[in-house]
Amino acid sequence: MSAVVEDKPNSLWRDAWRRLRRNKLAVAGLIIIAALVFVAAFGPWLTPYDFLSQDLDARNLAPSLAHPFGTDDLGRDVLSRLIYGARTAFLVAVIVTLVALLIGVVLGAIAGFYGGFFDKALMWVTDMTMSVPQLLLVVVINASLKQPITLWMEARYMETMNPIYRNSALIDFVLVFGSMALISWPPYARLVRAQVLSIRNRPYVTAARALGLTNRIILMRYVMPNAMGSLIVAVSAGLGTAMVLESAFSFLGIGVNPPTPSWGNMISDGLRVWTNYPHLLLAPAAVLAVVTVAFNFLGDGLNDALNPKGQK
Amino acid sequence: MTALLDIKSLTIDIARDNGPARVVDGIDLTVAEGESLGVVGESGCGKSLTMLSLMGLLPNKIKATGGSAHFAGRDLLRLSPKELRKVRGAEIGFIFQDPMTSLNPVMRIGDQIVEALVYQKAMAKPAAMQRAGELLELVGIPSPRDRLMAYPHELSGGMRQRVMIAIGLAGNPRLLIADEPTTALDVTIQAQIVDLVRELKDRLKMSVVWITHDLALIAGLADRIAVLYAGTVVEDAPVDVIFDRPSHPYTRGLLASLPTLAGKAMDRLPSIGGTPPEPGRRPPGCPFAPRCSLAMPACNDALPKLAPVPGSDPRHRVACFVTTEKGAA
Repeated sequence: MSAVVEDKPNSLWRDAWRRLRRNKLAVAGLIIIAALVFVAAFGPWLTPYDFLSQDLDARNLAPSLAHPFGTDDLGRDVLSRLIYGARTAFLVAVIVTLVALLIGVVLGAIAGFYGGFFDKALMWVTDMTMSVPQLLLVVVINASLKQPITLWMEARYMETMNPIYRNSALIDFVLVFGSMALISWPPYARLVRAQVLSIRNRPYVTAARALGLTNRIILMRYVMPNAMGSLIVAVSAGLGTAMVLESAFSFLGIGVNPPTPSWGNMISDGLRVWTNYPHLLLAPAAVLAVVTVAFNFLGDGLNDALNPKGQK
Repeated sequence: MTALLDIKSLTIDIARDNGPARVVDGIDLTVAEGESLGVVGESGCGKSLTMLSLMGLLPNKIKATGGSAHFAGRDLLRLSPKELRKVRGAEIGFIFQDPMTSLNPVMRIGDQIVEALVYQKAMAKPAAMQRAGELLELVGIPSPRDRLMAYPHELSGGMRQRVMIAIGLAGNPRLLIADEPTTALDVTIQAQIVDLVRELKDRLKMSVVWITHDLALIAGLADRIAVLYAGTVVEDAPVDVIFDRPSHPYTRGLLASLPTLAGKAMDRLPSIGGTPPEPGRRPPGCPFAPRCSLAMPACNDALPKLAPVPGSDPRHRVACFVTTEKGAA
């Protein structure tokens, strides 16, 4: 009797990795994303200029050897700002996605696994959140909460003299990240719930019950790991979406405040002068487009790699 | 022999929009200590649901609504979910139909066995891993220590079913319930699995309930056979009695539809005409009457009860007016 066993044990993940590597677009996406992570991590050591240093004699310069992407209306090096913008974009994408994922996974898993009233209530909340136009919701949150929070922080500073209350970037980050996470979690919750609903009736879950394992262990070790595949796909697409979202908000002026560079506010600034200085719009827009497409390629590749049943 | 498992007039209903439909209609079954019982019947006769109800594993909307199921002195149908969870695996092991889907695809074989040992026997992980290797050896898996690290998809169907059996045995159960464990396997592998379970049963002194629709397969394994039809037991007898003197027309039909070596290759196998009645639409009388060639008017009026077959083995019981009355006359 012989079992079909390959030479060395292959985990499902290793199989998936092998399939992913065969997908050229996904590999290209992965390389671009890796480059982004590298640039975001080592930004300060990579930029040719300080992203804030202005050179009023060299404003709106076209791309050249000294300034590969030219300079903006204050004579700041566009490449340096793009690199710093990558930090913002990456930070936003990761934090927003993680927070949204945490909320979505916990709520979705509990709702899907235990069902009942909690499940119904969760679906109402997600339906409600998803039915409100997302941009509008974020605009409302930021517009209505920013001032009271700013005032409160100033008052706290006056009381305590703790410099942390003078950091206005903190408000930006909390508000921007918070409101973006608030609109981003429902799709994750629904995805996880749907996965859990289908997985909890699979034979191996019944088999785990027949072993007398507790619900918690069944959920953590039998249900959730099998839902990971589609979750990873959703996350990789979600990271791209979060970056676009952040750019959209910065573009509208409710995202990260100047002078912190963000691709969105660079696009916004570039848009005002693009007829005269197209590079100021093109550079950030192109970078954003390339990164977004890279995330989508990776997401598609992961989808194929983790769901081999769709292939021959 | 004392009864380890004693199911009495068990009923199971499916909740439907237009009211409950009865799927299991008063099943009586006993399994003695160390005995192996074959439960035979066609799809939908309630054999799997009966066994799942013992473990509290019935799907949503399906509930055991009546009767009792005493296992080692306790009524399983009346245990709290928590108490029942302690019975599962530790006292009653379960082997499922499809080994391809009954193992967690993202966990190593060894970890899945260890899980059972850690939670049922409160074993420490290293000791449990050691024991997992022994269990794999017990169920006849070659180079068991290496296989501990394998994922389910790396094993063939027969190997996976052996792993399932190893997991089922991990808690040292007194009763092993096998729900059509060979249906998804090749014929040669089926025989190996049957042999393995018989051997393990003798070695570990367990009772076994083997659910199947394959009479021929069970012949070599069971001490006693219960034939189920439309949610009731229609015949219950030691295995050789069933094969020598089948009394219920349904059992006879089942046996007649088995291929024999004596038959000519071109002969069509006899089959029983018609289909079993749907749950909720069962006739008031004998559920088999509409398909039965021997049916008498009385068969449509009342449900026959299990009764000893006159002149047969004392343990041979059948639920059929034709047989019992003819014998009495």
